[in-house]
Amino acid sequence: MRPLDENETTQVFEKLFKFVGSNLKNIVENPSHEGPDPNPGRYCFRLQKNRVYYVSESLVKRATNIKRENLVSLGTQIGKFTKTGKFQLTIQSLNLLAANAKHKVWLKPTSEMSFLYGNNVLKGGLGRITENINPNDGVVVFSMSDMPLGFGVAAKSTQDCRKMDPNGIVVIHQADIGEYLRMEDEL
Amino acid sequence: MRKKQKQKIVLPPELPPEVPDDEIQVSDEDLQFVDQNRDYAGFVSNLDTKSITKHVTRVADVKDDALESMYERRLRKKSADKDKEEDEVEVDPVDALPVKTLDGKLYYRTVPSAAKKSETEATAASEDNGTATPMVKLTKAEKRAKQKKLRKEAKKQVKETAQSDEVRQAPQSEVLDEVKKELTAEEANEKKKYRLAELGTALLVDPESNIKSLREMLQIAKDGDHSIVILGLKSLLAVFKDILPGYRIRLPTEKEQQMLVSKAVKKTRLYESTLLTAYKAFVQKLIALEEQAVYKCVAMRCICTLLEAVPHFNFRENLLVAIVKGISSQDDVVRKLCCATVKSLFEHEGKHGGEATVEAVKMIAELVKVHNCQLHPDSIEVFMSLSFDEDLRKPESSEVDNKTKMKNSKKKRKLVEPNKLPASENKRSRREIISKTREEVKADYKAASFAQDVAERRRMQSDTLSAVFQTFFRILKHAMQSLVSSMGESFSLPLLAPCLNGIGKFSHLIDLDFMADLMNYLRKLAGAGSQKNDSHHLTVSERLQCCIVAFKVMKNNLEALNVDLQEFFVQLYGLILEYRPGRDKGEVLAEALKIMLCDDRQHDTQRAAAFVKRLATFSLSFGSAESMAALVTLRHLLHKNAKCRNLLENDAGGGSVSGGIAKYNPYATDPGLSGALASVLWELNLLTKHYHPAVSTMASSISTMNTVSNQVSHSNISPQQAFVQLSHEHESFIPASNTKKTSNKRKKGCSLSFPISSASKDELMTLADENAVRNKLSEHFLILDNIVENERLRTELYCTNMSLKLCEQYRKQKKRIR
Repeated sequence: MRPLDENETTQVFEKLFKFVGSNLKNIVENPSHEGPDPNPGRYCFRLQKNRVYYVSESLVKRATNIKRENLVSLGTQIGKFTKTGKFQLTIQSLNLLAANAKHKVWLKPTSEMSFLYGNNVLKGGLGRITENINPNDGVVVFSMSDMPLGFGVAAKSTQDCRKMDPNGIVVIHQADIGEYLRMEDEL
Repeated sequence: MRKKQKQKIVLPPELPPEVPDDEIQVSDEDLQFVDQNRDYAGFVSNLDTKSITKHVTRVADVKDDALESMYERRLRKKSADKDKEEDEVEVDPVDALPVKTLDGKLYYRTVPSAAKKSETEATAASEDNGTATPMVKLTKAEKRAKQKKLRKEAKKQVKETAQSDEVRQAPQSEVLDEVKKELTAEEANEKKKYRLAELGTALLVDPESNIKSLREMLQIAKDGDHSIVILGLKSLLAVFKDILPGYRIRLPTEKEQQMLVSKAVKKTRLYESTLLTAYKAFVQKLIALEEQAVYKCVAMRCICTLLEAVPHFNFRENLLVAIVKGISSQDDVVRKLCCATVKSLFEHEGKHGGEATVEAVKMIAELVKVHNCQLHPDSIEVFMSLSFDEDLRKPESSEVDNKTKMKNSKKKRKLVEPNKLPASENKRSRREIISKTREEVKADYKAASFAQDVAERRRMQSDTLSAVFQTFFRILKHAMQSLVSSMGESFSLPLLAPCLNGIGKFSHLIDLDFMADLMNYLRKLAGAGSQKNDSHHLTVSERLQCCIVAFKVMKNNLEALNVDLQEFFVQLYGLILEYRPGRDKGEVLAEALKIMLCDDRQHDTQRAAAFVKRLATFSLSFGSAESMAALVTLRHLLHKNAKCRNLLENDAGGGSVSGGIAKYNPYATDPGLSGALASVLWELNLLTKHYHPAVSTMASSISTMNTVSNQVSHSNISPQQAFVQLSHEHESFIPASNTKKTSNKRKKGCSLSFPISSASKDELMTLADENAVRNKLSEHFLILDNIVENERLRTELYCTNMSLKLCEQYRKQKKRIR
């Protein structure tokens, strides 16, 4: 386990910024009440076996006692670095993203299953959408009962969405909670 | 030139050929003749040789223009010296003809012996006038007519002042007035009034034959006397209102005039042309008079009445221009008149077929543009009385529908055709014939009927609508720019409030393209107050209005897309804290709460919980009206979002339901990140002990919401109603039973025991109550003061006692030591 170096940190923050925007500050400076220390510590990012984890400092301290080969995971995984060195967010970061998301999309009950199978979000399945979405923004997908289902990238702006025909793609799928079942081995 | 001169001045007769005095030889016969007839030639000695020579030499050599100016100067000099005496009565020239000297002066015989020389302009025109009008007036004097007596009395007073005004007029008009004043000024005015009334009634009875008297009435209205002009205008207005026809007059073209037509047509043409010219002159006069402050009110009223009565007639544009100018005038009366007229114009579209609406709206838009949005709010209020067809936006969709219908029908036909080919051919031909005849009938009907074409109407309405929205957007842009640009200067946005109201009203007609821009503007305006430099910001009420309008717009366009207005929720969250009861309007806040929170919408749990917590805090800080509104909203939110009910449990930290954030952050600006699910609603406990019974019952019912399974009494009042109800009670401050609510609530444990009175006696009771309250309170506080005083004195006493004792002891000890 090691902390991220500069390059890696910029990459991670860029990706996160697409989804949470100015709330990135909240993520980075989130006070953590874990641990025996009465003063709240901070959360930080750690890299272990090409996967990036979001951990509280108290936990990190204790995790240093475990041998590197034996450490499987710590805290919450938010993404991983591919072989070519690019950072990708994985589905485990959903809770963190959903709490701080700027751009949200709510799906109608009929099209939830479609998204959970890995398909893109069509306009006909759209229940609600936040204002001011620009193309290529990170979007978190919720069900109508406010349960986060996954996230993706916006294909069109909100304004364009209004005029689209019902079969147009609104959000391009990136990750959904159905992956826990479909791609159990790869997570 | 010469002719003119001759008309103006009277040249003296030609002199006999010049013979030097020396060479004159007077014959004896001549001398004898003169001696014998002294009387005959006596006049020679009376001749004013001086003036004659002066006249001849002066006039003969001077050129035309200089001559005129000379005469004018002379007149002015003479009038400056003159004294005016109102007792003097000039004899009517008919009785005693004036005498004219060689100078061209007219001497009128005057009854008092003091012979005043009155002057006239040495023009033939005035002479003719002078002789003509007295003649006409004499004939008037013979006639009598029914007259409105009230006007007479009122005018008499005005006349006294008018007469004194006339003294100071320019010398030339003085002269004219004198010519007209053969009798006293009063009598002349009375005669004019009678004449007006006469002409008016004659016109109303039979307009066609008496149309020429319109000209005369116009002439009277051009009188110099202020009151006569007003009277003239008013009578002309009454006449025109009645005789103007229900159609626009189109004057016949050259070609038509050359055609041979029947007598009736000729008569109508003549009537129409006279009517039109007279009306034109009247309108021009009104517009000219409107500039003058004296006639402004009357002229404006006339213009407004005309436009209301006959909006379809010619010259409507001129009237509209004048009225739209008056819409934003500083004068209250004028402005109210104009606004009322424009409103009635919008409401009664049937009279003018919608064109006047378009014109008026375009003119108002122009006005706003020119004045850079600094107008009185009334000028935009008139837009609220506009009404549009509901399906104004449908044309695009109807085309699409048509296309899809066509496609469907084509598909259906393709399916049906192969089966029914032979039979359908006959049907098809029959169908074609039927449809053809139907179209022909329709075309004939359209040509014959006066009903407006639907398409035409729609076009006009879309024109109006686009002008209206243009204005609204311009106002919004202006507001934005002033917010951005002005640094520390105070600026006023008088038009913002009615603009927002209008947008809210017509939000269902906004085109989708503009939606994004509109939302952008509204968002920026709503967030305008949160900047650090408070010199330029919108008031809380205005920002609330922006949020309300944004929600209305969104709601009315739900079929397009259901958009979640996150930013506005953030603004509302902040605005609830910034509200101050005296400064900001509670009703606006209540409306905002209703529209944004209570209406059927799905909310993010964190967000709903954040609002719940903040509303509870809010209801603790303000009076009962605001508390009630907040509590109603609170209950509604708790109903809708079952997950928020763990706020009612005494479970600080929220446990597992608290979502991502473990601790409540009361100062967070974003409701989604406040962590309210981790807090507890302890405020409800305090509120159950509120002095107002309604608030306390509501608070207790909310706190038991989780445990009480059956929802017993749920009065579905909105926060606005709650606010209004309680604010009325609050004003009277009497613990009276609420007449609106069915349940009777008595005040518990109030120290002021007053009889429960009905609402009507409230005002009478308040005064008595206040005094009694004051007395009681003063007694109470006196007692308190006394108690405090008492205690203080007692402690002092105790202290002094102690010190005395100490002294004694000390002395005793000293004695012992000694």
